[in-house]
Amino acid sequence: MKKAVRGMRLVYLGGVMVPLIGLIALLVGPLLWPVWAEVKGGSKIYRYRERVASGYYEGYEVSPRRARATVARPSTKRGLAAYGASSALVRIRTRLPDSHRGLKFYYRNSCVECHPKQTRNLHSVRAGITCRQCHGAEPIAAIKYHYSPMNPIRRHAYVCTKCHEGANVAFGTYLIHEPRAESAAAKENFPVLYYAYWMMLLLLGGTLAFFIPHILMVFVQELAMKKKKPAIDFLLFFIPNRFIVQWREKLIKKWKPPIDKLIFFMEQKFVVAPRQLLSKIRKPANDDAKDIH
Amino acid sequence: MGTKTNIRIRRFSLIQRLFHVLLIISFMTQGCTGVARMYIGSPWGKWLASVFGGYANATQIHKYMGLFMICLFLAHILYLCFKIDWRNFPRCLFSPDSLVPQPQDIFESTHHVFWFFGLIKAPRFDRWTYWEKFDYWGVFWGIIVLGLTGLMLTFPLLVTRILPGWTLNVALWVHRIEAILAMGHVFVIHFFVGHLRSHNFPMDRTMFEGSADLDATIHEKPFWIARMAHEGKLESLLVPQASLLKRTVFYVFGYSAIAVGLFLLVGGIINSPSITW
Repeated sequence: MKKAVRGMRLVYLGGVMVPLIGLIALLVGPLLWPVWAEVKGGSKIYRYRERVASGYYEGYEVSPRRARATVARPSTKRGLAAYGASSALVRIRTRLPDSHRGLKFYYRNSCVECHPKQTRNLHSVRAGITCRQCHGAEPIAAIKYHYSPMNPIRRHAYVCTKCHEGANVAFGTYLIHEPRAESAAAKENFPVLYYAYWMMLLLLGGTLAFFIPHILMVFVQELAMKKKKPAIDFLLFFIPNRFIVQWREKLIKKWKPPIDKLIFFMEQKFVVAPRQLLSKIRKPANDDAKDIH
Repeated sequence: MGTKTNIRIRRFSLIQRLFHVLLIISFMTQGCTGVARMYIGSPWGKWLASVFGGYANATQIHKYMGLFMICLFLAHILYLCFKIDWRNFPRCLFSPDSLVPQPQDIFESTHHVFWFFGLIKAPRFDRWTYWEKFDYWGVFWGIIVLGLTGLMLTFPLLVTRILPGWTLNVALWVHRIEAILAMGHVFVIHFFVGHLRSHNFPMDRTMFEGSADLDATIHEKPFWIARMAHEGKLESLLVPQASLLKRTVFYVFGYSAIAVGLFLLVGGIINSPSITW
């Protein structure tokens, strides 16, 4: 028993304390080092001013840096051949000042006709917010276009703060159009969400998968005890009775002594209260009736 | 239970019972308002939200009740600090009176599974069975997870001063699944154990009355009774059962919780296709 307790303590140290300390560090760490959320990135050097800062918020400009939600990197690859650096600027739509430039019959379409999945988000579904309330009027600039109001550099100031007053750049990294948490796309682009989702689902499924059969079996066994039959006869009612009786007799003859011995041994080893105490209590009158053997 | 002696053994203190009642009330409110919020796309969810004064109001109630639950949790931690026998601290966590999981529980759960098939005698439990410990730690863990993620979602502007905003995406999913787990566990497993086990039918009043039926306890938890008898504490733990009026109150309260829980469970399953995530 002592050994088992000591072993359990080790398990506690390893399995409980270490994750707990990790969790606390995760929660407290950013307080001490808030750089994780956002980085002030205004350029002090005049010749880079055009490229780095928007001009509006120069001294206070912040960038989300490593706090980006998705891990997808902007790529110039399209099909077999990749665009060159300069043609990518023109040809890849997510970088254009007007992302819908040159589309035929563009003004006759609504957003959803081409982007049907993009309304599946809480802002649309719950708050009833339309596309243009965030993405703005024509021409809708692409998100990665440097001067777009939706660019992560200034999204918080130009878009989020319309409703969420005081939103900062870290707030702007909330992913409105989040991929389905269970999907392969989430695994690729937003692995934290994917793994958190599946771990929680595993916990949910594991708990229910353990306890629901458990309580069903308790129910069956207690019902069987009322009928004074072991539950095994109850469960296997579709097998002819004589087989069960024979099988059960054989099973009990063979396995009951070693199982009893094992349980005696385990009780001695693991149960904290000493077994000898049991002789001290009075047995209920109908004790034998309740147990099968 | 052929012979009813009506002698009961004290199992929970008044404070512990009060915690449980407050937990029931807050959990059910959280369940209703949370489910109303999740199912707002369906007529059922809209009706459920209208009970609390609509979507926005239900959300507000959910947030305030969440804060209340966090306070309840902190009060419980404080209570634990007073309750723990600090003089022999690490050792007391591994005593049979402790709710901390121990090797015994692994053994007993396996033993219990063998008993399901009727081939061996039922395991003889001590004060806490493994499923009672699981219930306790399930709530403990659940409140930590739901409370932390709920706080994050309630105060997004404050949280994003520290954490990046995409953690809110994750927090929302964790909050949802943990809530489904909590409700599923309570409405199916906890209710089954409290009401449908043969010696508990129609309802186990232990957590409301504070005492358990002695005969049933001797049968299920002989190690605890033996230990108490050995230490000479048994006589002081025996109490008569509560008055009829009190018992009626317990039953009405217990069954209203059941009604709400099963309503959420069945309605939730039926309306699950119309959830808007």
